[in-house]
Parts: sequence; structure tokens; C-alpha cells
Amino acid sequence: MTTAEPVYWDPFDAALARDPYPLYARLREEAPLYYNDRHDFYAVSRYTDCQRGLADWQTFSSARGDILEIIQANIELPPGTLIFEDPPVHDIHRRLLARLFTPRRIAQLEPQIRAFCERVLEPVAGAERFDLVEAVGAEMPMRVIGMLLGIPEADQPTYRDRTDAALETEDGGRIDHEEILITEGFQEYLEWRKKHPSDDLMTELMTAEFEDETGQRRTLTDEEVLTYCSVVAGAGNETTGRLIGWFGALMARYPETRRELVADPSLIPNAIEEILRFEPTGPFTARYVTKDVEFHGGTVPAGSAILFIQAAANRDPRRFDDPDRFDIHRVSQHMSFGVGAHYCLGAALARLEGKVAAEEILRRFPDWEVDWDAAELAQTSTVRGWKTLPLVIRGA
Amino acid sequence: MTDRWKVTVDPRVCVRTGLCAASAPKEFELDERGQGRATSETLPASEEVLEVAESCPIEAISIADADTGKAIFPPES
Repeated sequence: MTTAEPVYWDPFDAALARDPYPLYARLREEAPLYYNDRHDFYAVSRYTDCQRGLADWQTFSSARGDILEIIQANIELPPGTLIFEDPPVHDIHRRLLARLFTPRRIAQLEPQIRAFCERVLEPVAGAERFDLVEAVGAEMPMRVIGMLLGIPEADQPTYRDRTDAALETEDGGRIDHEEILITEGFQEYLEWRKKHPSDDLMTELMTAEFEDETGQRRTLTDEEVLTYCSVVAGAGNETTGRLIGWFGALMARYPETRRELVADPSLIPNAIEEILRFEPTGPFTARYVTKDVEFHGGTVPAGSAILFIQAAANRDPRRFDDPDRFDIHRVSQHMSFGVGAHYCLGAALARLEGKVAAEEILRRFPDWEVDWDAAELAQTSTVRGWKTLPLVIRGA
Repeated sequence: MTDRWKVTVDPRVCVRTGLCAASAPKEFELDERGQGRATSETLPASEEVLEVAESCPIEAISIADADTGKAIFPPES
């Protein structure tokens, strides 16, 4: 006889960070439409439900935010915050950035990205032990985004630390929604950049003409440019850094795979896709429900908050064979970059950074273990990944 | 370059951003599943259509010359 305790999921519970997958599997099977009465939100976890919901912006709106506590705080969000907008305004704003993030344009950055990666790996050359997150995860994406935006190198850590601090929560804690949209740091820089235009993203955003939602042709206001920059900086740093951390962790856990990649680096791009499926850095996405909607015979009422658990969808056996097996030869369309209007703008950049980091790390350090006792998982309510990941290099 | 293009969206790749239809509503529409498609068999060649194909974040859109079948986007490498 089994004791049928109903499944309970608290997204703010830091104890779940280490291995949330057994619980996600229970949600998927036992409560495909889940309701949490303590925090008052709904959640779906099957692939088809996440795909349907994230693609349907009319029913599942981003206009109140895409993080549970922001939606529930019901705050006024500034225009230009892309991730907190719905079409058609969202599409007008996204198109301005989409031109700058096309896969082809991003691909041209590979030599520069590789140079950043080589530079951050220089200090650990020949080391027997180093923290991968500190050395590469926290450094390389910041340098890349900084270069794109045109932020002077000396100022880059300030911007990174500001967004990281805003997104970090204590165990069971919630994000302070006042902190998340700080743009003041960029203000001075914008003034300076106006007098010194360059070929960076900030200059392009300041000068790009577009037709706004009222049909007027104009350029972006300073406030809008600042919001764009803080969104790009915030979205591009920590997520990509965590991807590099997961690469380090999974390659230690699956040494056979690591040896395969060392022998044949052309397998790396697909390995990055499997890392993204297996351990997505953003495990779930929140939306605001605009009208009553049915899932699995239950109704989610208008006005609710709902979480789409992409990390659970990525391991849905209805979609992926043997989903808990890490297999870099798998061809899969995972959910980690989302789907629909908000599909990750920086997906091509994240993939490229992941690939370059993997290539450069494996070339220098073909064999390592992780000191798991000293490793630490970062716990925020939006991002899951290693805060410290000490690699112990073998054959050093 | 001839003046008609055959524009196809690969449904196995398309992640339904809807950006194509939002950017060029005369040339692109969304099907009942939310995936993009060209509004007609062939489209007049234009910078706009090329820019839409280039801006698709997963490059699900391909363009070929309607007469010769030669690839216009992604360009043959």
C-alpha cells in the first residue's frame, strides 16, 4: 500500500535546488495542472502544455512580468522592458533588437568571443584547481555583453554585480521588485555615448528610427534605451554564466562524454543543446492569466499567476525517449529558450558562448573532477546553477 | 536576382515567435498552431523579406529564387 500524500511544490524552497527532477516528474504525472494555495499560483509541467501556453500570449500575458513575485506585486513596469510586454508593442520593441541579434550577426562575433575566453582562461593556465564559475562563468558573458553594449571594461563588473544582486534571493526568499529594474548606472554612460557614438548596441538603439504603436516615426527615448540596455545586460550575464557552470558539472559527472568531446569537438554544439535540455538555467517562466482557461479538466481562472516549468517539460517522457539520460547525440527541441513571442532573443549568442567556452576549456583541460563538497548551487527564484564549482584538474 | 521568391518556413524548427508576421504582415501570417508561413506561393523580392528571414532567431525561414530555385537565404556557403 502506498501513502498517497498529494504532491507539494514550493518554487522558493532552496532545498529543491540540488535535484528538483523527481518532484517535477511527480507534478507531470500526478498533478499536470498544479495549484499551490500557499503562494497562490498554478503550474503546468508537460511539454505540450508548456508549448501551448508559452506560445499563447493572448491568454498568458507577460505584461505584469515573467517572475511570480513580480506578477503578484502588480507593479507598473516601464515601456521597453521587452520581457514584460505583449504583442503588438512587444514586437515593435523586439524588432529593434532582433536586427542586432540575428544568428548571422552573432556568428561574426566568434573571434572576439574566443579572444575573451582565452583571456579569462590565462590566469588559470597550468592550475591544479580553480573555480570554473569565478574564472569563466562570471567573467566571459559579462565581457561579451559589455562589448556589445559598449560599456568600458573597467565598469563592467559593477553592472554585472548589480543585476546579480537584484536576482539573488535567500532560501525561501523573494526578489525585491524595486531592485530589478535599476537603470541609473547606465545614465551617465548614455550621456557620454551621445557625444561619442560608436558601432555598439547602445549607439544603434539611440539612432534607430522606428514606427511606434501610435504610428509615429521616432527614435527611442533615453529612458527606453536605458531599459533596453539593462534588460540585455541582465538577461545575458547570469544565464550564460550558469550554462558554462553546468557544462563543467556535467562533464565531470559524465567523463565518457567529456572524452568523446575532446576526441571530436564537432560534437560540442549538440552537446550544448543537451546541456540546455538537461539542466536549463531558467527552470520556469511565469505568466498572468487573462481569461479562464482549461488544463486537464481543471480551470485556471482569469487573474491567476501560472508557472510553465520548462525544466519539467524538457524531461517529459511523452516527448523525449529516456528523458533522464544525458545523451549528447540526442536531437531535441528543448524548451529552455522558451517558445513564442518571448523566445530568447540571445539564444544564438548563448549557444555560441557555450560552444566557444566548451572548446577552449576542453582544449586546455581535457580531464577534471569537481570537488563536490566545496561546490555550491546558486539559489534564486529565476535561475538555477552553480555559484562555485571547483574543478580539480587531472594530469595537470 | 529575379523578382519572385519562394519563401518557406520549416515547421520542425519554427518556435512560433510570430516575429515574421509582426514585421511583415503582408508577406507572412501565422497558421492555427502559431507557426509562420508565407502568405502566397511566391513573394515579390524585397529587402524587407530578406531582413525578416535574417532576423528569425532560429533561421527557420529560407528563401529561394522562384524561377531558378537558387538559395538566397541562407546563402550557400
